Amino acid sequence: MFKWVSEFFHLAKNYIIFALLLILSFFLISTNNNAHTRGLQTVGLVTTSYIEAGVDEIINYFGLISKNEELRKENAQLVDLTSRIHRALEENEQLRAMLKLRDEKPAPLLPANVVGRASEGGRYFITLDVGESDGVSPGDPVVTGSGLVGTVTATSANFCLVRTLLDSDSRIAARLMKASADGIIVAGEDGNLIMKNVSRRYDVSNGEIVETSSLSSLVPPGIEIGVVAEAIDETGNIFKQIKVEPAVDFSSISVAFVMQYSSSNEARDLQGKGTSGNLKNSAGK
Amino acid sequence: MTKRLLGYAAFGLLTILVQKFLDNFATIDMVSPQLVVLFVVYIALREGQLFAMEGGFVIGFFHDLLVTHFLGFTAIIGVIAGFVAGFFYKESDIELAAKTFSFAWISAISVLISELAVMPIIASGELNFLYVFLKFTIGTTAYTSVFAMVIVFINGNKSRYV
Repeated sequence: MFKWVSEFFHLAKNYIIFALLLILSFFLISTNNNAHTRGLQTVGLVTTSYIEAGVDEIINYFGLISKNEELRKENAQLVDLTSRIHRALEENEQLRAMLKLRDEKPAPLLPANVVGRASEGGRYFITLDVGESDGVSPGDPVVTGSGLVGTVTATSANFCLVRTLLDSDSRIAARLMKASADGIIVAGEDGNLIMKNVSRRYDVSNGEIVETSSLSSLVPPGIEIGVVAEAIDETGNIFKQIKVEPAVDFSSISVAFVMQYSSSNEARDLQGKGTSGNLKNSAGK
Repeated sequence: MTKRLLGYAAFGLLTILVQKFLDNFATIDMVSPQLVVLFVVYIALREGQLFAMEGGFVIGFFHDLLVTHFLGFTAIIGVIAGFVAGFFYKESDIELAAKTFSFAWISAISVLISELAVMPIIASGELNFLYVFLKFTIGTTAYTSVFAMVIVFINGNKSRYV
């Protein structure tokens, strides 16, 4: 019996090891979103970020003119964004005064350079040269003057890893401004995004602005995500198929801002309690 | 053997660093060449299937850790590429690995099969299979094959085994 098993193992050794290695790889894939793996991601981030930052500095040295031009454009967009925010804030203050709501401080913006990109297998991450020492923490939204880039997934002392909207695991609550409909933004094809879960009863037109929704516990509301490129009603589907052209050009982004947005923690905790069934029903006591 | 292992480890690390550089500067619409697979094919043609599968897993794991930040993805590609390329291992031809056009077509087959195997993972979001097949599977295979050809050209000797 033992001889037979030994002979079988000898003959099928390569196939058995092939199967074992595949199982191990699939196990690794299944652990990608847990805390231990995030620790490993941070180790990888620390290891490569310094090399990337060094290479980036060399390239930047030779490409200062184009970077300067890009920063000017970015600056112009930010000036425009700031003036729009100011207008919105004034309007907001008036409305709040009318409703007597409490004040909320705007999330501070932390400027950062993009020092690395990784886009394989439907994943799309960028690395920024700011980290925990600058006050960045996982979950912080990342924006440019054009709109939302993504959220921070892992941090080291001086760098952070950002999951962009083009990553196949990215899910952000969004709102169609004109139609006033909420949905979920996920990665689509050809560098576009898809807005899911929008009912067919809404009238959605091309060119309509898509912004982050107040329903999101990850990002603050009102940040532009993109514009509707196409909205299709499919037979047999109760939801619209909405293709969204992103506001940010992910292929050329070289500077970004990390929003130190933490006001959602309480909401997140509350949601967590609610979903786990631990929410105490104070009304019943 | 230890010396050879250290050599492969150093070369593998260098491959990962070059891959990282290519991901930043040579990616075309989210498609980049799989240098890691070329390295695994090279190992398979020199050392055989078993060593290539194990090597493919290890280099794939480190590639995921340092480059893709998606653990397990390149490890699967590495294992499958090692398994496929291992069938082309000939003890008499180990000195010819990466020197003949055989390397280019073996690499193309290995990349194609390994990318086909990870198609469901890539398409797990909102992407449809035809799109993933055309863009990622065919795109990556073609792009990687170009690099395999460049390696063969650099290594010379192409006239012997066309």
